[in-house]
Amino acid sequence: MITDRALPASGWEVDRQRWERLTALWMIVMLALFPILLGLGAFMRIVQSHLLPTLLPEWFYAVMTLHGLGMVGTWFVGGMAAVSYIVARYVRPRPVISHIAFWATLLGVVLLLVTTLLGKFGVGWYFLYPLPFYPAGVWPTWATWTFLLALAVLGVGWTIWAVDLLYAIAQRYSLRVALGWPYIRSGTGPEIPPALPIVTVSLISALSGFLAAVIILVLSVLEWAGTGFSNDALLMKNLIFFFGHVLVNITMYLGVVLVYELLPHYAQRPWKMSRLVAIAWNTVLFLVLFAYAHHLYMDFVQPQWLQVLGQVSSYFISVPAAVVTIFSTLVLVFGAPMQWTLSSLLLYLGVMGWAIGGVAAVIDSTIAVNVRFHNTLWVPAHFHTYYLMGVVLMLLGFAAHFGREASKQPENGRLAKVIVTLLVIGGYGFLMMFYLGGAQSVPRRYAVYPDEVQQGVTYAQVSLAFIALLTTGVLLYLWETGRRYWHALRAST
Amino acid sequence: MDPLSIFRLFVVIAAAVAAVFLGVGLSTRRQREYSPASGLRTAFFFSLSGILVTFLGVTLPRMPYPSDGEIPDRVIHVVGKQFAFAISENPIETDAQWEEIASFAPPVEIPAGRLIEFRVTSFDVNHGFSLYAPSGRLVAQTQAMPGYLNRLRVRLDEPGRYTILCLEFCGSAHHRMRGVIFVR
Repeated sequence: MITDRALPASGWEVDRQRWERLTALWMIVMLALFPILLGLGAFMRIVQSHLLPTLLPEWFYAVMTLHGLGMVGTWFVGGMAAVSYIVARYVRPRPVISHIAFWATLLGVVLLLVTTLLGKFGVGWYFLYPLPFYPAGVWPTWATWTFLLALAVLGVGWTIWAVDLLYAIAQRYSLRVALGWPYIRSGTGPEIPPALPIVTVSLISALSGFLAAVIILVLSVLEWAGTGFSNDALLMKNLIFFFGHVLVNITMYLGVVLVYELLPHYAQRPWKMSRLVAIAWNTVLFLVLFAYAHHLYMDFVQPQWLQVLGQVSSYFISVPAAVVTIFSTLVLVFGAPMQWTLSSLLLYLGVMGWAIGGVAAVIDSTIAVNVRFHNTLWVPAHFHTYYLMGVVLMLLGFAAHFGREASKQPENGRLAKVIVTLLVIGGYGFLMMFYLGGAQSVPRRYAVYPDEVQQGVTYAQVSLAFIALLTTGVLLYLWETGRRYWHALRAST
Repeated sequence: MDPLSIFRLFVVIAAAVAAVFLGVGLSTRRQREYSPASGLRTAFFFSLSGILVTFLGVTLPRMPYPSDGEIPDRVIHVVGKQFAFAISENPIETDAQWEEIASFAPPVEIPAGRLIEFRVTSFDVNHGFSLYAPSGRLVAQTQAMPGYLNRLRVRLDEPGRYTILCLEFCGSAHHRMRGVIFVR
């Protein structure tokens, strides 16, 4: 890890053990939830393969809801926990806040399990208004209330977490400096870690997304409490997709923070703060507010200027990412005395997944193309690319790095290569079946494919072979990383 | 724009990205001096921006939204409701009308190659109104949203049976929600 810019020993060292224990706790939860949620995803593809013909579709949709919410939430909290650990070297967030977020997350997970598995609450991870209030006889009223409660609990826990981190950053650097504005103005400024503007941008964006979530919750409760108040479907749709898009985007950016911090360590080269880094991430802060609009292209009543702004923002948000982060990653690694470990391989491949998923996302964010791809399998194809093969690999890279640092155990290099090979072949093979399905107009979120799109069944069946490879890779990863955590735990007790 | 051609373009770009990452990864076998490669970065910035601006220029005029200058040859009314579409040449304004049309009305027939305006809305949750051609291709879509009327204008050139599938998740029988029209 980089230490020259870290807090004085009296600052970081005092809290080091506390942060390490807390981060280990978060990582263990993240790594425990991952295979379960992966299993739920595999279950969905098995159902779509028509291998479980007697299954009631409502179970598919309840599992779909749990899989989506679980994955989005798990990688967001994993990213926040990893970034908190890194940021705690420079600033002083309060561990107690991270603890509160941890317990709020666990409570939220329990409530989501109850509402989906006991209540069969199946609305998709984006709970598009007014579907939660139209159960069609499947889920009871209490399931909707439990879901709203889960959102409220998670929202409160995550909001105070983000606020605390932002406050800690502002206390040491001021937000102006943390966002790199002195670099934008004069090309130089106070020394800050290059990851700091990304963290700051991510947290500010997160708070804007959480604000949208609060408005959604309040409006939903107002309508449902029988006040006679009725919501506007287009407004709710804008709010929901703003919230969802921002949450997913910043999870990606939290993964990028890990690349900025850890990859230079393995490349033995510096990643310095510069005017370009500052401009790039401030541009992202602005564009991320409008990029969500590409989710509403097929709502023709949406003002047309907002549709155009959605495409322009979605296109140009890729420029700072590609020109600064992805390009800089390649320059950093090119000809470097690189230590290729499980961690560095995963971080590097995570950037590649981000780049490839970004290409697919830009294609889909083209309005004229979206009319053929909207809500087909192209959509899960592209977001699984930058999630599964992007931010997930980055976070698995961090978890491996953290486990190795904590346990001081040597790495099995051959096993690391086997793991990475399985993840890449299994992951991209699995994704390719989504892309092929999308290119052939197969709808997403279908428990059973009708005759017109029967090719979806074949793609689901083939994807099972790749899921098997992916799952093997994940289980080997968990074995390799899990034993390090076990050693570290035993050593600390 | 043909989805399969777009898919092929994506595969080529993705393979190029993977090749660059592989090449850079393999370059670490022989160490070189670190260089920020700022000249290359500037060229990359302008190339990427130029490509994106070009694509904006080519694709934005092809947006599927209706323009005021066009007058449709026929208007078809569509109302989604869990879990069926009612499709009619007459406005559908009540649940009773919806029930009657969704359950008993014969499929609407429209002339090939003429400009048709589908006026699409919903009586409950969001649905997705999508037209699948006889060949199985998705040719057009818009959302069916409660409280709003989306106008989808399209010319259907291929004669035959067009299947309408719901493309917005709407509940436990979402995958069974469908409709049909014939193009003659």
